[in-house]
Amino acid sequence: MTETTKEAKYLQALPKREIEEARAMIKAASVKIIEENLQRMRKTWPRRPKEIEYFDEIAKFSKREEELLKAKEEGKKVIGYFCIFAPIELILAADAIPVRVNSGWYDPAKFGDRIVPVEVCPVIRSTIGAKMVSLSPYLELSDAILSTLTCDGMTKLSEIISDSKPVWTMVPPRIKDSAQAIRFWSEQIRSVKKKLEEFTGNKITRRKLKEAIEITQKATKAFRRLQQIRSGPPVIMGRDVMLVNQTSMWDNLERWTAKTEALCEELEKRAAQKKWACPTDTPRVLITGTPMFWPDNWKLPAIVEEATPQGIIVADELCSSDRFLYDPVGVDEWTENDMLNAISERYLMASTCPCFTSEDGNEDRVNWLLNKVKEAKVDGVIYCVVHGCMLYAMEYTRIKRALDKINIPVYYLDTEYTREDVGQIKTRVEAFLEMLTARIEV
Amino acid sequence: MITAGIDVGNQRVKVVILKDGKVVARGQAFAGFDPSDAVKHIFSEALNEAKMQRSDVAHVTATGAGMENAPEADSTVSMMGADARAGVYMIPSARTVIDVGAEEARAVKCDSKGVMVDFVVNERCAAGAGAFIEAMARALEVNLEEMGPISLKAERASSINANCVIFGESDVVTLIHKQESKAEIARAIFDAMADRISAMVHRLGIAPDVVLVGGVAKDVGFVAALKRKLGIEILVPEYPEYTGALGAALVARSRVKEAVKE
Repeated sequence: MTETTKEAKYLQALPKREIEEARAMIKAASVKIIEENLQRMRKTWPRRPKEIEYFDEIAKFSKREEELLKAKEEGKKVIGYFCIFAPIELILAADAIPVRVNSGWYDPAKFGDRIVPVEVCPVIRSTIGAKMVSLSPYLELSDAILSTLTCDGMTKLSEIISDSKPVWTMVPPRIKDSAQAIRFWSEQIRSVKKKLEEFTGNKITRRKLKEAIEITQKATKAFRRLQQIRSGPPVIMGRDVMLVNQTSMWDNLERWTAKTEALCEELEKRAAQKKWACPTDTPRVLITGTPMFWPDNWKLPAIVEEATPQGIIVADELCSSDRFLYDPVGVDEWTENDMLNAISERYLMASTCPCFTSEDGNEDRVNWLLNKVKEAKVDGVIYCVVHGCMLYAMEYTRIKRALDKINIPVYYLDTEYTREDVGQIKTRVEAFLEMLTARIEV
Repeated sequence: MITAGIDVGNQRVKVVILKDGKVVARGQAFAGFDPSDAVKHIFSEALNEAKMQRSDVAHVTATGAGMENAPEADSTVSMMGADARAGVYMIPSARTVIDVGAEEARAVKCDSKGVMVDFVVNERCAAGAGAFIEAMARALEVNLEEMGPISLKAERASSINANCVIFGESDVVTLIHKQESKAEIARAIFDAMADRISAMVHRLGIAPDVVLVGGVAKDVGFVAALKRKLGIEILVPEYPEYTGALGAALVARSRVKEAVKE
């Protein structure tokens, strides 16, 4: 690789001592916050199912980190990605390991502030900071990054991270309903395939690709089964589902699928015995907006489900959770060409990212939300945006109008990568839940 | 039936005692460094004024940013819920209640029963709230109470930035250096605040009648500015700063009635 000889465009080399001190400090805080988050989840729901313990383990990072290290020693490549447009089937088919690398830690954002202004979205600033102090095990272990230029933040983040690692970019078209757009996207899928083959030295054969698609199809089945259970009577708390969903972005997907099916099994038994995780008249909340990453940016799910009155998150429309594996790759004929087309379509057409627009606005997102509200019997929506997340912030008015029409209250919450606003958020969320409770009683 | 509401605000603690739906005592004190002490003190003073004992009060409900600092309370209610309840109680035609306090501004939509149906809160900055007027009064070297009346004397409008208290203050200093009159600067301050609050209310959608409450509702300068910005009539009830406490006392009343029913 040539990156070592390249002059850095953005990143600055921090003194080694500063990096080590910062990393040690943030890592120690991270271990604490993970343990605290899990404790709080157990406190809210004392009778958590046995099968969920596996996901708690994965959420602690170290198990998976060791596995990735071992795989790398055996010659496997790790491919990191930021947005869920990255075609993980192709990564798997090249015998490489896909892993999502966005930072959910609050503290590294202050290092990112040395490179970009504070007005920039904190997910971006924190990911830059995580790179500067080598904090994120997954980002560090990635041999290359597959980055989709969905928003302005992601576009420049790719440039910044390319100071330290090979970064391959993909550009999603901003409109879906044109022949050029699909062609434009599907050509990029094909060029990523080539890059992966060259980088790993493994040819993506028809058989390999078919196997990889079957792995994600099975994962999608398990994923959907879990979301289905979640959207029924409250047999599992929403925060717990969100953690299971998020671990699918780091874990071995086949093992994750088996464990998720086992969890669903246990939950269905509980549902049959009417063993609920909270009272059945608890206000049912859907969360949408900027993705929320483990472990620090877990404050909103925690506040909602620990609030007085309590709420339960029965669905979310987050690319860090419900949206990730929701849609299957639909293949008609298992030819290489058809499979690649099916992958292109699945990543483009099924996405409800606010980077898209059309004459009617981002209709797919509106419809997804309206359907989910109906299906999961949602009482109210919390639309949560971090400062600097322009696309989600701007689309709020459109979404609110659509929800107003079906008489579903929606609350707009703005926050930052900080712990200081927890008190204020709690006040607002509790007022919103109080309002939903009053509506349920009437 | 006797109930009480305690509003533990960012700056002041307010107490209202309600007997058979009528206010019999009000009291307020600085929250200070020990809000729970302030609560204790002002609550017992209000009880004295009403010639009552704590045991005469059937239910106490707390509200406000520091509601957890009121151990006297039997229950709590959100600030928005309290605003809606008291707004409609004081002015039955109220459907939008705007509450501008020391460090926060919010707007609540409510139905004819005083149940909130939607709400919005200002961004995390005190520039749209009472603390902004206080800081600006200091910069202009006038008393807080004088700010409103002075602003009404302005002959034309200047403009300042009210996105941030600190930047707002530096804008005010710029106007002082340009030798603008105090009246015009005071009006610019209220206009900037009203701009922020009206943008917030517009995001919620305006349903008449609009009622303004909270300590800042007593400031004639701000009321005039908000009327100009929203272009509609704004009603201000008597004792607007006690709205939260009154709402909490009304909620307490409902909770006693509910308990009796059960």
